[in-house]
Amino acid sequence: MSATPCAVVGVGQTHHKSRRLDVSFGGLVREAVFRALEDAHMTLADVEAVILGKAPDLFEGVMKPELYLSDALGAVGKPMFRVHTAGSVGGTTAIVAASHVHAGKHRTVLAVAFEKQSEGNAQFALGSGRGASLGAGGAFAPFIRAYIRRSGAPEHIGWKVAVKDRLNALKNPYAHLRIEDISIEKVKASPMMWEPIRFLESCPSSDGACAVVLTDEAGGKAAAADGRPPAWILGASSRSEPSSFPGRDPVRPAAAVQCAADVYAQAGITDPRHQVDMAELYVPFSWYEPIWLEAFGFAEEREGWRLVDDGTTELGGSLPINASGGVLSSNPIGASGLLRFAEAANQVRGAAGEHQVEGAQVAVGMAYGANNQYFSTWVVGSSLSPFAG
Amino acid sequence: MTRFAESTITFPYKRSLGPVVGAFMTALTDKRILGIRNGKDILVPPMEWDPTTGAELAPDFVEVGPVGTVESWTWVPTPSVQHPLQHAFAFALIRLDGATTPLLHAVDGGSSERMVEGLRVAPRWRGTRVGRIDDIICFVMGEVPETDGGDTGAAQEPVQRMDYHASITYRNPVPAATDRAVVASRNRRLLGLRCPRCERVYAGGKGYCPVDAVELGPECEVDLPTVGTITNFAIVTPVSYPGQTETEPFVRAFVLLDGTDVVIGYSPVIELPADEVRVGQRVAAVWASPAEEHDQEGGMGGAWGSLLGWMPNGEPDIDDPDLVNRIF
Amino acid sequence: MIARSPENAISRDIAVVGWAQTEMVRHTDKSETELLMEVITDVLTQLDLTRADIDFTCLGSCDYITGQAFSFVTNLDAIGAWPPKRDSHVEMDGAWALYEAWLRLQEGDIEIAVVTGSGRSSTGDPMLIYPMEMDPYFLAPLGADPLTFAALQARAVIAAGIADERSMAEASVRSRGKGDVDALLATDYLREPLHRHDVPPITDGAAAVVLATGPRARQLVERPAYIAGLDHRTECHNPSFRALDDSPSTRIAAEAAGLGDAPVEVAEVQAAFSHEELLLRRVLELGDDVVVNPSGGALRSNPIMATGLCRIGYAANHIFGGGNRALAHATSGPCLQQNLICILEGP
Repeated sequence: MSATPCAVVGVGQTHHKSRRLDVSFGGLVREAVFRALEDAHMTLADVEAVILGKAPDLFEGVMKPELYLSDALGAVGKPMFRVHTAGSVGGTTAIVAASHVHAGKHRTVLAVAFEKQSEGNAQFALGSGRGASLGAGGAFAPFIRAYIRRSGAPEHIGWKVAVKDRLNALKNPYAHLRIEDISIEKVKASPMMWEPIRFLESCPSSDGACAVVLTDEAGGKAAAADGRPPAWILGASSRSEPSSFPGRDPVRPAAAVQCAADVYAQAGITDPRHQVDMAELYVPFSWYEPIWLEAFGFAEEREGWRLVDDGTTELGGSLPINASGGVLSSNPIGASGLLRFAEAANQVRGAAGEHQVEGAQVAVGMAYGANNQYFSTWVVGSSLSPFAG
Repeated sequence: MTRFAESTITFPYKRSLGPVVGAFMTALTDKRILGIRNGKDILVPPMEWDPTTGAELAPDFVEVGPVGTVESWTWVPTPSVQHPLQHAFAFALIRLDGATTPLLHAVDGGSSERMVEGLRVAPRWRGTRVGRIDDIICFVMGEVPETDGGDTGAAQEPVQRMDYHASITYRNPVPAATDRAVVASRNRRLLGLRCPRCERVYAGGKGYCPVDAVELGPECEVDLPTVGTITNFAIVTPVSYPGQTETEPFVRAFVLLDGTDVVIGYSPVIELPADEVRVGQRVAAVWASPAEEHDQEGGMGGAWGSLLGWMPNGEPDIDDPDLVNRIF
Repeated sequence: MIARSPENAISRDIAVVGWAQTEMVRHTDKSETELLMEVITDVLTQLDLTRADIDFTCLGSCDYITGQAFSFVTNLDAIGAWPPKRDSHVEMDGAWALYEAWLRLQEGDIEIAVVTGSGRSSTGDPMLIYPMEMDPYFLAPLGADPLTFAALQARAVIAAGIADERSMAEASVRSRGKGDVDALLATDYLREPLHRHDVPPITDGAAAVVLATGPRARQLVERPAYIAGLDHRTECHNPSFRALDDSPSTRIAAEAAGLGDAPVEVAEVQAAFSHEELLLRRVLELGDDVVVNPSGGALRSNPIMATGLCRIGYAANHIFGGGNRALAHATSGPCLQQNLICILEGP
């Protein structure tokens, strides 16, 4: 990337829950923001611009909430920007925030994303208020059926992902779902919601927020010198494709494949399976893990499920996926993408706590939205040139 | 002549209030109005943060008013259904006694001639208060608060949530391509539009090609077969929400039309129970009877017009492992 | 005083090379996607470009105006994003979509971006929709609507001596190119002190702008409208906590965009209400020699979510036509809460 380097020096998130009845809108986002600022050893005054992402305004019934939240986010007198790219929005928010730094427009910026699903009803909003809303599960079930049939994957793959991510969530103090007795049997016995997706193979509906402080090369180096390792952005990319036309393949979307190729080229990655130490992929339904392992080049086509089956993607495996517990464990929709990006950053900063992947130096954060149409991805590293030497 | 499709988005949102707004709303049920201290200022409405710097404010509440002074106003001759009063009134910025910032609320002023800056106003409380800003129905002229109807007293518990009921009706023109598809459906015809550039065919009145981004006019119309094969499907277990019409698991199928590349997505099926739907199943279109055609709730809606969905046509299944991939 | 801009880290030449807008009408039968398809094709045709030449797209639109969650997903169909495109969407006026594209182009790896703004305001009642963007606890439940806030700001602007009802009527007549000031002043108030002529029309429409980086811009057009400065700022949300006779965020954005560096010949400001034009003239210190809103401005047509982007387009017209320096302004939120300033210059 020829532009000015950009580093993540602060990450914060809320405790995600189905209902955060203890906080207002502003209170929810500020909880994440102050954690991120504390992590960055900064205050609101150090932030030059705020970039806010969230999914449709119909979720909470507040139109353009960046207006209401301007002062809550300390943005008075500063630029306040609002991104909305469906489920990928949290990721795109991070990318647009990084763009402010890469362009040299601002030194330090704050990316914030949130959803307060308990104020409304996601199924209602996804159906724009009309009856017979498919919900995300209904929309994605056919894609999953197609994946299972074309790959020949056994049905326990979906259960395994569901268990793995919930076990990881037990190591993440912020995770929403904490299912201590999660097991294959429990997943298998859970109700069928959108055949072939079972209840425990699905994401929860959460209230939550995430905030990330991004700064320029000097800021990143200063943090490093102070003993607070930054995460350097080695590549960032987004791609979109239309929702429906004859011949479109939603299981291996061209937009996903191109998005991956773009970030890997920027980061100098030629063999993602071995050069990437861990990834946070947007997996709202368990089968999306093998689907994205393939589209993002971690496995050959139709082979992604084998990495699940042989334990490669477990926390102790050679390519841990969603060490944080992922979207399957916490899903404040608009923030879910930023959480992926933030968790990837924390891993290469060595700041992931109990779910730290040992020695992680290069990590991928990825989010998608709509009918597998919108993709945003970044690669972060513990240094600007992790592959040198 | 343009047809319009009307839709109403209505939802009873439930907002959690947090410590500051919650305290304000709780006090309202007791007919008290709280401000919050911010340095030399007493902010009303109270905020969790300094509106300029974003700094967290300590929960240092100060009771203000309830009488106040109009700092500015505008007259609303024709209120909207969302407004606090349904007859002409003023929206005013009211500085409550003891506050340093004004609160926006309604003043039941009678006529605009009576409104003037410096006017003293007092709240007209709702008899039954729930902890919402409209527990104050409006402000009235003078120094004496009023209560409307019998007073049921303060809330027993702190108020933590409030309802916000939003209802907006939208009126969208039906695009010409959609309209033509609907008219054709009355004659049991399924219209497609063939893109002159990429030759892809689109059904459902989509009047453009999303690949080439060109409009597809009547000259692009083709008749599509009304028999096909189920390639994939979703069985949706409905959750309840305001406006939900379904109570039982329902099927949405993808149907590849015979001899074409066209898949009709997310289609209802008829006389096909959810546990019997399968990939490869042969189906035929089911059309509404003329009597049903006027029932906007039935069928697939939108451009599908009289097409209600698909039902098995009795032919043997097609065994093609690639069928399941034809979602689009 | 608008101070001179601080030393600007951004140096890469990026220019508006063309723009197009749909017919601006009270009501169109076309869908938002169709409007976008038409306007993107129009602007590309002018420049002899195709959709394949676009490296980056950013759309600006609003679900609550369309009445559909994820309405921008359908609008993606207008881009021709196949093969897939680098793409983004902002729930903001297209002027902010342009801001994002401008940042993205600074990164230096791509050359051409298309940004759009689109909205069909005719579909719903603005009096019922816009309260939803207000403080969800204290203002939205009262149905506090944009006319109310505009009227309260107009009163503050009048009290400060920046405008009076006559100068507001004159601004309206200038914008709309019709009307008799005395006759207008004799009409009833819509929302005192606002008369109907002080208030924008409801407009359906879309606009698309093409940005290109330096060398490519010069290949495409003779006189690219270079973005000499671009900045936006916000204020606290609730008008209760603001001095409504000022627009500090506009002033900061103008300084950061370099307005103080040299005089502009033309200013296109997004003043949907007549008093806003007079307030913005004051805050931006625009002298009598600056031509304000030669397009007629938002009082003539107000395609919400595209109105701000159109200002940038019209300012670019001044450069395309031989002018040297022009200002465009866009705004969002109650009482000019959020403001964007773009300075365009000729080669």
